[in-house]
Amino acid sequence: MHPPISLIFFFLTAGTSIGSFILMYFLELLSLLGRGGGLPDEVIYKLVVFQIVLIGLGAFGASFHLGHKLRAWKAVKRFRTSWLSREAVFSALYGFGLILYLLAKVLGLGPVLEHLFGVSTFILGILSGFSTAMIYASNRFVLEWSTSITVIYYLLMYLMLGSSLMAYASHLYKLPYLGTFLFLTFLFVALGLGFRIAFNVRQFYIKRPTLNEALNLPHNRPIRVLDTGSTTDNFCTTEFYYKKGKEMLSTVLPVAYFLTFVVPLFLVVYSWLTGVVNYWTLGITFLSLLFGSALERWCFFVEGNHVQNLFYGLYPEEGYRLRKGYMERKETRISLY
Amino acid sequence: MPQYALVIDLNTCVGCHACATNCKEWNTQAAFGPLSDFDPYGKEPTGVWYNRIFTYETGEFPDVQVFHLPKSCLHCQDAPCVPVCPTGASYKREQDGIVLVNYDDCIGCKLCAWSCPYGCREYDEADKVMKKCTLCIDRIYDETLPPEQRKPACVLTCPAKARFFGDIEDPNSEVYKAIKERNGFVLFPDMGTNPANHYLPRTETKVNLEEFEKHLLRPDNPLFLEVVKRHHVSHKAEEVS
Ligand code: SF4
Ligand code: SF4
Ligand code: SF4
Repeated sequence: MHPPISLIFFFLTAGTSIGSFILMYFLELLSLLGRGGGLPDEVIYKLVVFQIVLIGLGAFGASFHLGHKLRAWKAVKRFRTSWLSREAVFSALYGFGLILYLLAKVLGLGPVLEHLFGVSTFILGILSGFSTAMIYASNRFVLEWSTSITVIYYLLMYLMLGSSLMAYASHLYKLPYLGTFLFLTFLFVALGLGFRIAFNVRQFYIKRPTLNEALNLPHNRPIRVLDTGSTTDNFCTTEFYYKKGKEMLSTVLPVAYFLTFVVPLFLVVYSWLTGVVNYWTLGITFLSLLFGSALERWCFFVEGNHVQNLFYGLYPEEGYRLRKGYMERKETRISLY
Repeated sequence: MPQYALVIDLNTCVGCHACATNCKEWNTQAAFGPLSDFDPYGKEPTGVWYNRIFTYETGEFPDVQVFHLPKSCLHCQDAPCVPVCPTGASYKREQDGIVLVNYDDCIGCKLCAWSCPYGCREYDEADKVMKKCTLCIDRIYDETLPPEQRKPACVLTCPAKARFFGDIEDPNSEVYKAIKERNGFVLFPDMGTNPANHYLPRTETKVNLEEFEKHLLRPDNPLFLEVVKRHHVSHKAEEVS
């Protein structure tokens, strides 16, 4: 699949915003339950404003993916069936929730309203991330994406970005949560690494369909694509198959792994063991995660193979194992001899 | 419930691209047009087509066969491209099962194209909306056209008469009978899409020339035999039909 830059940008901004809000508000919730002291109001103001700006930027950036930006509001209409519609609704509500939460804090509307907005925004943030991930995971024609790993990993990335940003904020505002967020960063990045490896390993075991299945031909019949109807590329060959990306994937993927997992893990463990924590280690951890995740998302798109590529002979054949007796179940079949 | 669809005979399709060309011709000027083109006379012409012809070769050399596969939207009965559309711009009509895009509602998010396993939707970079075969809805219901013309442009133009149009749920229709009698099949049957467009498989034409050849005087011109054979085949075909 061709990686849309606007969607990668949305992931980075929404991910940082939602991830950091979830963790920030979690501290508030804990203090409500009498655990920990919560966060000072000024820090919350600054963080929430930052989160509002980020989600706003994300929405603005994502609109560049659309042909008609001004009609974007219409995307709320099919909430009942479309994950994209749900994503749009939840992300918008999350943005509004942030604003209401900030207002409740600034205007001192009392703990009931404050936490009502807080909890709603917390849930909406998670639902927004979940819906975005489901857009990919529910697409059964891109087999690489169509797995629960996609969703779990997606949410983990939000938490990775959020926790590393919160670690930086803890250091910046001298909060007592630095150790906690360092630990959480380590935990989420390590889990993320595990799920990303699982995502990659799974690709070797996917039962991929073949051109024979696409054309409903008997299974063992050799078949070759001679001509695809035009001498140049078209929407289907450029949107679903990114040739340059496929060539670059083997270089970009290791870099993505290195920046997303190796560098942050190294820095966090280094901080832990040596006790050296400063703006550099925390800043580089966050930025490395940010750039790494951008590359990782790029790879995620390029790794996805849409089954329509079969018709063009652009679908991978490796990893495919013959499913014997598969076609015999079919009622109709084509006879060419 | 009626389900209009195309049935394409792979036996007679010669891969001439006439259907694709006439589809483009009709739809670029009719109700759903234009279908944008970029660099049409240059080195890298691209553009929106509702219908594309693929050519495949099966078998091992020297026993190979070539066949052509015209592919336009299959108007799936369980169209996966419809529920994913966030705006409801993509919809399937109740009355005839035609899957359409409302260009006034489409925001151009391309998610429907991602959800079509057949690659039958094409994004128009100029109009910024998703486009696809309309089953020539602007022809088939047009009462200003003579009744025999109320068919999709691609069906009318096919020089090999390989394309049929009708209601595949109506047992009296030509397409229903063709699918039943000639073992019509669909593309990607295991994708859960239940496509409405069907294809008629290629069938073997057996002609026994043994008897015939006994009585044949072989002339000096070796091509003469071919001419007579061909004549015999078409003669037989006439008898059958
Ligand atoms: S062929 Fe593709 S675009 Fe047409 S109805 Fe089926 S899934 Fe939708
Ligand atoms: S591109 Fe248009 S028709 Fe397709 S899913 Fe998006 S809004 Fe719906
Ligand atoms: S039915 Fe009409 S729109 Fe569809 S492929 Fe044929 S000519 Fe094109």
